[in-house]
Amino acid sequence: MLNLAPEDWLAIQVTLKLCFYTTLILLLIGTPLAFWLAQAQSRWRTAIQALVALPLVLPPTVLGFYLLLLLGPHGAIGSTLEALGLRHLAFSFSGILIGSVIYSLPFTVQPLLEAFRRMGQRPLEVAATLGANQWDQFFNVVLPLCRGGFVVAATLTFAHTLGEFGVILMLGGSIPGETQVLSVLIYDHTEAMNYSQAHQLSLGLLVTAFVVLFIVYGLNRRLEREVSL
Amino acid sequence: MMSFWPSRWCSAASAAPAKAESRQDAGVLTVDLLVQQQNFRLQLNEQIPLQGVTALFGRSGCGKTTLLRAIAGLDHHPTARIHFAEQPWQTADTFMPVHQRRIGMVFQESSLLPHLNVQQNLLFGYQRRVSRLQVQLQPANVIDLLELDPLLTQAPGQLSGGQRQRVALGRALLSQPQLLLLDEPLASLDQQSRQEILPFLQKVARELNMPMLLVSHQLEDVVKLADHLLLLQDGRVISRGPLAQQLLQPEFAACGAMSVLTAVYQGCQHFMLQLTVGGQLLQVPAPVSSPTANGSYRLRILARDVALSLKPLAGSSVTNQLAVTIIAIQAAAHPAEVLVQLEVAGQPLQALLTRQSAQRLALTPGQALYAQIKAVALD
Repeated sequence: MLNLAPEDWLAIQVTLKLCFYTTLILLLIGTPLAFWLAQAQSRWRTAIQALVALPLVLPPTVLGFYLLLLLGPHGAIGSTLEALGLRHLAFSFSGILIGSVIYSLPFTVQPLLEAFRRMGQRPLEVAATLGANQWDQFFNVVLPLCRGGFVVAATLTFAHTLGEFGVILMLGGSIPGETQVLSVLIYDHTEAMNYSQAHQLSLGLLVTAFVVLFIVYGLNRRLEREVSL
Repeated sequence: MMSFWPSRWCSAASAAPAKAESRQDAGVLTVDLLVQQQNFRLQLNEQIPLQGVTALFGRSGCGKTTLLRAIAGLDHHPTARIHFAEQPWQTADTFMPVHQRRIGMVFQESSLLPHLNVQQNLLFGYQRRVSRLQVQLQPANVIDLLELDPLLTQAPGQLSGGQRQRVALGRALLSQPQLLLLDEPLASLDQQSRQEILPFLQKVARELNMPMLLVSHQLEDVVKLADHLLLLQDGRVISRGPLAQQLLQPEFAACGAMSVLTAVYQGCQHFMLQLTVGGQLLQVPAPVSSPTANGSYRLRILARDVALSLKPLAGSSVTNQLAVTIIAIQAAAHPAEVLVQLEVAGQPLQALLTRQSAQRLALTPGQALYAQIKAVALD
């Protein structure tokens, strides 16, 4: 039934790699960010929260356009890299990774923010009075109490990156093995009137996305029931 | 500036020698705090004795909890200065983080970590301190003291309110604190659960010799537990000192004037405790549940339960009669009543009489007479 060409397999590989790294990086960045947002009284909080949510409302093309300018050979970051003897980041895997991280940021931060808020300050205060420092509090109180939030954040980020299209097309183009992810390849297949190939990949993505979300929400419900007991 | 307070069981009159001792032994907690928020200002500069139970008493919103959280380091007020005996907890340029202060805190509502069972909760603080400190309280002792053994494998969600607070108290004790902070530990409990946990708090206060700060707006709890009292009103400390003296404050007359007498155990006959106050005998039914013991007993006496007579009363059902001296006569909450401040062997005692009776007996300060005590509550 499956009749995938080598370029299809390559695109699957690039896509999974992109999703994996994006999720990993976003959990590392998103956790402290969401934690700060959950308790900050600072007047910067609203501005940061708006910035984080921006990719939700902005057309991906806008984001991709500015990133292309910024990371390309004439942009601030791209030209600096060139000056250091490195390559600029437009049309590269690193480039679309940066784009994905920015684009999927709200999908990591929102579930974590909600989990941290639901947990509240009290468990952390309790742990602190019992002699636990910040790292100790994170690993032994925050992590177990917000397990569900982390699972949801990781999955939504992964799934959202899986479906990313506009930013990648603008910033990375369609270079097989480098920036050609599934969504872009489906677009290319369709453009070339290659409907059966497009169909296979599209259906595959649809089913994968549904199964992943189904498993995660089921898991999350069970975790929540456990903790609330 | 306030003076140091007498040690635990000393009456005010004989406290002088013990006072100097206790100052050296235990030290004081020095708090200099100014908190300014909208519609709220808390300002105080106090030295709190690190001995026995000190109650921070006042109405809701008077700043008690704010003060406790500042002492714990849970809130950081930049201008605050806090010294625990010789240790600086907060100075102009240092702030010791909460986890380094050796405090045990019991919060108002259940604060057990929901992902851990009772035993894991109990050991949370213990495990983090046991490697670094000389352990004074072993898990077995605390579990025994607070009767936690049957609960160990249960999840916090399965416990009643009173049981949860008992576990929280045990957990705080096992973190080997130098100071126990109790933030309205009974406020979220119903009457039955309160009665269930109060004896344990009294046990801890008596047996462990650990300084405790108790935040409360319930006079009943304060009278049962506290040795010292800090009275807060609208963000200021309006009075402080040993409990027995503080109960004379007019603020307490409104919520039912009472006195606390410290009596010395002499023996037990026919199920009656024989106690003396300044050499005068008082007889009180012995508590059925706990065995009697040598030492001091704390007697709570409502001003309403004290009658006065010019001569010793014979042929009365009231057995407990003390020779007393009138210190002052004050207006009571009700316009038809007066509150008579008495003294018995250096300890204050209050009697609530009608204005009429006071006039009929021609009571004046300095007068010696007899107080009949109709009811005594034993702690």
